[in-house]
Amino acid sequence: MSVLARSVGNAFRNKIRTAAVVAVLAVAIGLALAMLVANQAVGAKVQELNASVGTTLTVNPAGGQGFEGGGEPLTTAEAETAASVANVTSVVGTKALRLQTATAGTTDSATGTTQQGPGGGFGPGGQQATVTTNLTAAVDAGTLGNRNGSAGTTGTTGTQPVRALPITATGIGAEVDSTGKALDITSGTGLGDYTAAEAKTLVGTSLAEKNSLTVGSTFTIQDKTFTVAGIFDAGTTFGNNAVYVTLPEAQTLAETPDELSSMIVTVNSMENVDSTKTAVQDALGTDKADVTQGQRNLETAVSSLDSVKNISMVAFIAALATAGIIILLIMVMLVRERRREIGVLKAIGARNRTIGLQFVLESLVLVALGSVVGAVIASLASGGIASALISSNSTTTAATTTQRGGGLAGAMPNGAVPGGGLPGGGLPGGQGGPFGGASQLLTSVTASVSPGVLAAGIAAVFAVAIIGALVPALLTARIRPIEVLRGE
Amino acid sequence: MIVVKDLVRQFKSGDRTIKPVNGVSFELEKGSLASIVGKSGSGKSTLLSLLGALDKPTSGDVVVDGVSLAGLPDGKLTEYRRRDIGFVFQQFNLIPNLSAVDNVMLPMEFAGVRKAARLQRAKELLEQVQLDPEKHSRRTNRLSGGEQQRVAIARALANEPKLILADEPTGNLDEQTGEHIIELLSSLSRDHNTTILVVTHDRSLAKKTERCFRLQQGRLTEEVRTESRR
Ligand SMILES: Nc1ncnc2c1ncn2[C@@H]1O[C@H](COP(=O)(O)OP(=O)(O)OP(=O)(O)O)[C@@H](O)[C@H]1O
Ligand SMILES: [Mg+2]
Repeated sequence: MSVLARSVGNAFRNKIRTAAVVAVLAVAIGLALAMLVANQAVGAKVQELNASVGTTLTVNPAGGQGFEGGGEPLTTAEAETAASVANVTSVVGTKALRLQTATAGTTDSATGTTQQGPGGGFGPGGQQATVTTNLTAAVDAGTLGNRNGSAGTTGTTGTQPVRALPITATGIGAEVDSTGKALDITSGTGLGDYTAAEAKTLVGTSLAEKNSLTVGSTFTIQDKTFTVAGIFDAGTTFGNNAVYVTLPEAQTLAETPDELSSMIVTVNSMENVDSTKTAVQDALGTDKADVTQGQRNLETAVSSLDSVKNISMVAFIAALATAGIIILLIMVMLVRERRREIGVLKAIGARNRTIGLQFVLESLVLVALGSVVGAVIASLASGGIASALISSNSTTTAATTTQRGGGLAGAMPNGAVPGGGLPGGGLPGGQGGPFGGASQLLTSVTASVSPGVLAAGIAAVFAVAIIGALVPALLTARIRPIEVLRGE
Repeated sequence: MIVVKDLVRQFKSGDRTIKPVNGVSFELEKGSLASIVGKSGSGKSTLLSLLGALDKPTSGDVVVDGVSLAGLPDGKLTEYRRRDIGFVFQQFNLIPNLSAVDNVMLPMEFAGVRKAARLQRAKELLEQVQLDPEKHSRRTNRLSGGEQQRVAIARALANEPKLILADEPTGNLDEQTGEHIIELLSSLSRDHNTTILVVTHDRSLAKKTERCFRLQQGRLTEEVRTESRR
């Protein structure tokens, strides 16, 4: 019989008490592990958010966003200016186009409405050139579309309302969407060289489905045949009703070489975003460009997620400390209870360290059992705990996001814009702009229990348990062998 | 050879101090078999605990083979208890949730004896004290008082100590088993040169020891023997 065997035996000496202790330990350990898992999940999400949009600035022409306002378009030269600003890691230019289904386009021309609004395309609403396509939009006009559509047409000739919605086509200088987020290509490939004009496109999933397009299929824009190089998933219905081409290709289609609708400026770190925003604004001039920090709303999201992360870390440490204290108290109780027996062991020649080790091992047996049960509890509960923590926080965040999303929606048409770029033709808002999905990002935090995190958590539990057991183990050293002669 | 020099152990109970051991001196030759008798509460167990280094005297010293216990640090005293002493407690003091064999193996485990060897020896010792083989692996809290007493004796013999201190080793045994235990102890002192000191109320046991001491009012006096050993 070894020290370990004796410890295991002692741990089960009083089975009912052992069961009670293990149950209490399991709750504390389970809570600790669940909190650690939640902490890791939220931490990963914060990193993801920061990495994706946390460090980008959006540059729009001064006085204009989307279809509204006026001013001069941005140019490639300005992109180079922005790129030379300190802390800027990359500048991606985009050129937005509006693809109008050929029949709808015919209606427009038949009624005499030009494809481009007043001001020769660069006046109000002239940010996007409208070109024809043989594709059909994947989004139905619906109430919002029709309302906006009629609002738009009353301004012109008030003829037949436009029912077919436009498709967003964006020329991009890198494999990112119009908000600067990396594109999620689900089949096929990217466009390869984004700085060369080429008749290749990336098509959103719903648009591809609507028009039965697969990788290798062809369709036309302005009577030019384009090949589908890849299908991407933007995650939103609106985002998937879109086509991406290379930046030069879009500029050619719009017949406006060197012009950009907007630029996405990526800053090297979160801390430098504010200063870089000012620097880019100064470099481009306030009369030329508006620099906005598109992810302001996400900052709120990130900071609320950060607080969730902190709360879960505090809860993890508190639960861990609780487990340690439970072990400490139980072991102190056991040492007092077995005072006489410890005296016996000493009287027959056991060393202090042998007895101390026996008690530490006994506590570890209890912790091991508690950890097994606790890990089961954690894997069942952590998903619920993480989403409960986050949903309570993201309700407020989601509210702000929606409001702000409305304000920013102009940066990207939201399916509510009619043909014939009229001032104020399309009211921004409604179905959410590029950041409308922020709340979705938050709730999609998945608290998957990774074995690594669980192992780290259990290692921490054992470390705390050893510390907790060390105190009573050292107490045994003070018990004198003469205790053996004392009555129980 | 054990030399006890002017040993005193006093206890404070309230404002009174009692001295169950108050200036005890004697010598025991190696391999001798001696007994201590005395009334209940006269301090026999207290004296034995001082000799076995379970307790420290208020004053005085015990010198075992030239080594003074008073001068030894705690670690050395532990080693002394483990190697040199076999203690049979009045209340047996077995570990209740361990089997008889495991209890006997414990001192050998602490002394670093290999597992197979300790199991072998534990079984032999339990046979020597005449414990039913079927009870060897029974938990000791399920053994009778007499059975527990025999396991306690076997445990005291485990590390072949040079001094066996036995507090009422035959108190719970029937006459025949008691006789056998006495025979076992005297053969140890005869054949293995083990020094044995027993505390007993048992007249017949006391008669069989070479020397007999009486503890009275904290002092030890040797009873003069006319008849020789057995
Ligand atoms: N730790 C202690 N504190 C106070 N008094 C003690 C302590 N230990 C023993 N005594 C007292 O010392 C006296 C001697 O006790 P001891 O156990 O040595 O007697 P004993 O001779 O072994 O008696 P018995 O034959 O009944 O076993 C008793 O009066 C006892 O109450
Ligand atoms: Mg006694």
